[in-house]
Amino acid sequence: MPNGKAKDRFLKPLVADYEELLGRFQQTESVRFEEFTAIWRNMGFSSVFYFQIRVGGLYLLYGLYHTQLASPKEKIRIALKDWEQIQKFYQDSVNSQHYDAVYIIRKLITENAVLYTAMPQMLTFRVKKKPQHHKVCEEFRDRPERVKDLISTDMLQEVANIQGHHERLKASVLERSSIAVTQQDLPARLHSCVLEFLHWQDRHENHGDADHLVYAEEKAQQVESSNRAQLLASIKTKSYGCLAEASKSRRHRQVEMDTSISGTGYINEAPKYHKSRAPSLKARTNKNLCGEGDEQKIQYWLLSAAEEDKTALKRQKRKHSFRW
Amino acid sequence: MKKMAAGSSSNVNENIPVFEYKDINTKPFHVGSFRTAWLEKLKPIDYSYEDKYEETEDADFAKEMGIAPETLDELKAICSVDNLRCQAEDEPLDTNVVPPDPTLQTLIQRKKKQDYKGTLRIDKISRVDHYQDELESLAVGKRPEDPVDLVPEGEIILSINVLYPAIFERFKYVRPHMTLQMLGSHSLVDLRDAICCISDLQVFGEFSNTPDMAPDFISKDHFKSAFFYFEGVFYNDMRHPECQDMSETTIDWAKTRDFPTFHKAKMEDTRFYDLKVKVGYPYLFCHQGDCEHVVIITDIRLAHKDDCLDRKLYPLLTHKHRVMTRKCAVCHVYIGRWLTTNDPFAPNDPCLFCERCFRMLHYDKKGNKLGQFLAYPYVDPGAFN
Repeated sequence: MPNGKAKDRFLKPLVADYEELLGRFQQTESVRFEEFTAIWRNMGFSSVFYFQIRVGGLYLLYGLYHTQLASPKEKIRIALKDWEQIQKFYQDSVNSQHYDAVYIIRKLITENAVLYTAMPQMLTFRVKKKPQHHKVCEEFRDRPERVKDLISTDMLQEVANIQGHHERLKASVLERSSIAVTQQDLPARLHSCVLEFLHWQDRHENHGDADHLVYAEEKAQQVESSNRAQLLASIKTKSYGCLAEASKSRRHRQVEMDTSISGTGYINEAPKYHKSRAPSLKARTNKNLCGEGDEQKIQYWLLSAAEEDKTALKRQKRKHSFRW
Repeated sequence: MKKMAAGSSSNVNENIPVFEYKDINTKPFHVGSFRTAWLEKLKPIDYSYEDKYEETEDADFAKEMGIAPETLDELKAICSVDNLRCQAEDEPLDTNVVPPDPTLQTLIQRKKKQDYKGTLRIDKISRVDHYQDELESLAVGKRPEDPVDLVPEGEIILSINVLYPAIFERFKYVRPHMTLQMLGSHSLVDLRDAICCISDLQVFGEFSNTPDMAPDFISKDHFKSAFFYFEGVFYNDMRHPECQDMSETTIDWAKTRDFPTFHKAKMEDTRFYDLKVKVGYPYLFCHQGDCEHVVIITDIRLAHKDDCLDRKLYPLLTHKHRVMTRKCAVCHVYIGRWLTTNDPFAPNDPCLFCERCFRMLHYDKKGNKLGQFLAYPYVDPGAFN
């Protein structure tokens, strides 16, 4: 009966996932629903997740799709490359007789909630944007190496030693060594069991290797990007380290040096509003080589404004901008 | 749902788009084959525009899973969307009111933003900005009157960003562009014709002596050549006899250097289905000899019921950055039409005038030219707003 199962799995991971998701959503600094569904898709259908988490992701997508107030509704994007995994997930659900999950997938498709796309997100070649590293919640990850972790070679060695020790003790204590409490060849049997399981796993997990490669690649990229990030951070601290001191009358608006830009490898890419910043390389070169060219840009369109009326030229400055 | 036929698509199927650089752009793939790949994997009913009957769908489901009708009913009740409602049934949800004591972080943030907005003093609300974002939703869900014009099911829709040529100093953090939606069966000339650039409207020539003759020459009619560059192939517009092959210079130059050979093709003979492109990667559109636009294909997908389904409305403009119009330096009321240089009457060089101020200042009642100056017709960059 799907009754108890559905309710449990509907509510519990829903709440947990939602909280987890919101932190990530905050980082995107946007209220675009497309970003939201993108993160969801990523989280819900990546191959490394537990089946339960994937089902939770599916339910969440379903809930979000239906409770959105926008019209026309924002669709769920499915890229061609992910279709196979979704099919596999569907098959798993069918085989395990999880009626609710199957029903919901079918419902989403028949309701035209799905957009069949080339890639999961629209790509506009924003190279400078910090790449979104989704911090995958460790608890959600699937452990295909569980068995290997449990029965490692060290552990087998230990078991063999203990077995040997036990045999010797038994031989020295008892005359009749025909009573055997433990299995004689326990380590060997454990080992063969594990090997058999691994072989079975390899046969069924046809993209296990690809995932490892991708993961290794990502790691390499992360290391690279964090090196570059550190380099950038050091350059920035150097340039923002020297600030022009404001004149006496403007001292109350003196800009303070922002010491938050330093060394953790995380860079705040948004340009901070400095009233007087250190001259850029271009400006310095210009000054040194070309001398003073045009002193002032004449604003042609405001010639009719009175000279005393400086406020006509300046935009009203906001006291503080919204901190997301 | 169709079961995957074993071996029908291996992992290295090159028609499946994958990232070349993660989250930035894909590897090149053939658009037509991408479409075929999707259509193979789906049942026609999955992407059709028709509404599916609930009863047939339920019957199929029950048969596939082998469950009884009572179980099905119970299942439907459990999985119904009504279970997700947080407030009472007859209370409509007010999106502006944040419920008290929120624990969800989005709500907390929303409240903060609302409070912040209350402290702002907004000087003026531009009416154009107000409606700027609505451009996207204008054509949603439109059906044509004549069924011949219906976008067929399973058609590909591409979203293309065409960036303005980067000559504005101000636009350092923004990328002004226009977004067009095209169908896969359109050809590249359809895209070319849909791109509006003010350099097409420029009038060249000095007209201080003959100010009334200006509108006869428009660059668009004179210089018709253009080309697109996608993945090592130059697509030239050869529709008119005046069009020259602008890409030849580049191809010849590339041969002398260490570049892979480039190819040529005709713009009018190439449809989007025939292209092999990367999604998210910048390409080039060049017209008027030196006016270059960066073109990025942002999205390729199958057509959906909620899209605009009227063929005649494509290419569809979904987004366009607005450019400030330059006004006359004298009256600051009318849009500038003339640019003068070496003008002793003007306060600065060069100087912009509207038609009336220009005539009043530079010509007498009989239309004779007063003084020595050079005048050029000016096309306002905001002409397409």
